Amino acid sequence: MNNKRMIASVIEIVLGLVLIILGHLGKIDDYWSGMGGGLLAVGVLRLIQQFRYKNNATYQEAVDTERSDERNRFLGMKAWSWAGYLFLLIAAAGSIVFKLLNEEKLMFAASGSVCLLIVLYWMSYLIVRKKY
Amino acid sequence: MKNRIEEIRKAKGIRQEELAKTLGVSRQTISSLENGRYNPSILLAYKVARCFGMTIEEVFLFDEEESV
Repeated sequence: MNNKRMIASVIEIVLGLVLIILGHLGKIDDYWSGMGGGLLAVGVLRLIQQFRYKNNATYQEAVDTERSDERNRFLGMKAWSWAGYLFLLIAAAGSIVFKLLNEEKLMFAASGSVCLLIVLYWMSYLIVRKKY
Repeated sequence: MKNRIEEIRKAKGIRQEELAKTLGVSRQTISSLENGRYNPSILLAYKVARCFGMTIEEVFLFDEEESV
């Protein structure tokens, strides 16, 4: 881990705090202040991880091994692949169910998700095919 | 793909943790390799073989039928 990640965490914390304060002052709506809370939580957690990484040799070794472990990367890719397939199936089934329920907006959202995922898959496939 | 990692490791008196540390992988990866649940990349297979002072063919057993 490097200083760039630490700087990114500090930016997340500052941005999160700014959004929360602006939300409390009524300048922005709850959506943005909620996002600020999320950013703050993520920033603080990452910062704690980075301090632990720098000061704890055992943790550093465990993190480095986890990152370099090829099976772990394989599992990550496999999990994304399964998640993509499941999302596709759920969205496709959802579009049919929403159509039957006359929920046009939700039906279009579900159908659009299926189309977008398929387009993204083919784009990724074409890029990966050239790369490897 | 079948392999002789567990057999060779035990014969050399190496623990899974030690082998994992030498190869820069997790202990779970060694366990998966030994059980045949995970097939390693050519790079990791080479590292395993070199760690045992053997060739890849001596450690990993190619099965013609399995590859079809």
